[in-house]
Amino acid sequence: MTALSPASKRVALRSLSARAAPLASAAEQRATLGALPLAQEFDGAIAASHLGVLRASGVEVLQVNVGRLCNQVCRHCHVDAGPDRREVMGREVMEACLDALRRSEIPTVDITGGAPELNPNFRWFVREVRALGRRVIDRCNLTILETPSHGDLPEFFAEHRVEIMCSLPHYLSGPTERQRGDGVFERSIRALQRLNEVGYGDGRSGLALGLVANPVGAFTLGDQALLEAEFREALRARHGVVFDRLYCITNMPISRYLEWLVESGNLEEYMTALAQAFNPAAAAGVMCRTTLSVGWDGALYDCDFNQMLEMPVRVEGRATIFDFDLDSLAGRLIATDRHCFGCTAGAGSSCGGTTA
Amino acid sequence: MSAYFDDADLAHFGDLKAHHPELWAQWEKYYGSAFQAGLLTKREKILIGFAVSLSEKCPYCIHSYTEQARSLGMGMEHLAEAAHAAASLRAGITMAHALVAHNIEKKSGM
Repeated sequence: MTALSPASKRVALRSLSARAAPLASAAEQRATLGALPLAQEFDGAIAASHLGVLRASGVEVLQVNVGRLCNQVCRHCHVDAGPDRREVMGREVMEACLDALRRSEIPTVDITGGAPELNPNFRWFVREVRALGRRVIDRCNLTILETPSHGDLPEFFAEHRVEIMCSLPHYLSGPTERQRGDGVFERSIRALQRLNEVGYGDGRSGLALGLVANPVGAFTLGDQALLEAEFREALRARHGVVFDRLYCITNMPISRYLEWLVESGNLEEYMTALAQAFNPAAAAGVMCRTTLSVGWDGALYDCDFNQMLEMPVRVEGRATIFDFDLDSLAGRLIATDRHCFGCTAGAGSSCGGTTA
Repeated sequence: MSAYFDDADLAHFGDLKAHHPELWAQWEKYYGSAFQAGLLTKREKILIGFAVSLSEKCPYCIHSYTEQARSLGMGMEHLAEAAHAAASLRAGITMAHALVAHNIEKKSGM
């Protein structure tokens, strides 16, 4: 049984990178996870399941992390994003992504960050991807829509039929701000209301508005459908906000969430619980099997989590979007480590919510 | 044994089954069924479980129902309301029991 110190409850004001914290290093993060006394390794759990090995079954989603720059510094951020980060995807990498899309039939482009909208080429990239007829998802922190230079984004999103996946861990201010920072809740609600005003989430316009809920602490969320109903009623009654779907995503023991787990004394118990809750059915649906993740510099990964842990795709030769070869990527073996238990625990977790 | 209550106990609660598997199975089935959603939602039943846990002062149950509540998106904001409901009812029950004294006094007092 552990108690949280006041310091561990506060939202960090600077990234691990800016603080030159040891856990800013991907190697240090993996070593920290590797030192835990877990009863099984992830590969062993997969080997004992009907899957045998974890292999990609194709590429249905090109997830493009356009940079680590963000206007928030959330306590649980696996990207270690923040205003002090300078890694931003350049136009030449986006051009290579577009070229890969032209040479394939990958139907969906999932744009993430940081706050992806802070990339100076964000709007150009969205227009180009939409011009290719591909579905675009923007992973939005909501508060960016409340900044003066981005206030017209709801109209831009609607015009280009961009699907919005918004981060909102709770329908109450307290837990939301413990995770995401002071003042975030009110601004997030205003941003949701603005998205609703242009038609998002009304169930008629076809403008999809999803909410992403991460647990505020060292636990996993349960029944996604029940939570969705509760969020729906609470947000409608309290704020007049509507949305289409709620997606529950497990916090991954990476970067600042890993730092919080260590500081609060929850790391071993959390990882043990994730490993014990390994579910082969959830593993079969993990997103890395159908996703290709592109880093700000063009490097390729199986998912955004592997990207942050600097675990590139396992293919022959250079693994960058400039060398995109769908045939070699489609059936690749997924690079795994202990953090992967985060996606396979219980009902599973992915950028699209539960997987089992 | 270093303590009568240990949070590690929860993990081997099922060890008790070995002492009487049939009765254990009956209890397990009853418990499982009673907490299925029916006219009451799963959420409502978890809050009942939490309030009873407090009232009965079972640390194992408080731990378990706190975790179940959190998995459904409830935090201390919700659990505090449940705790106050349980606590105020206990206070009311204590006061209501004073009726026994009141009635005795009324019947046989002068």
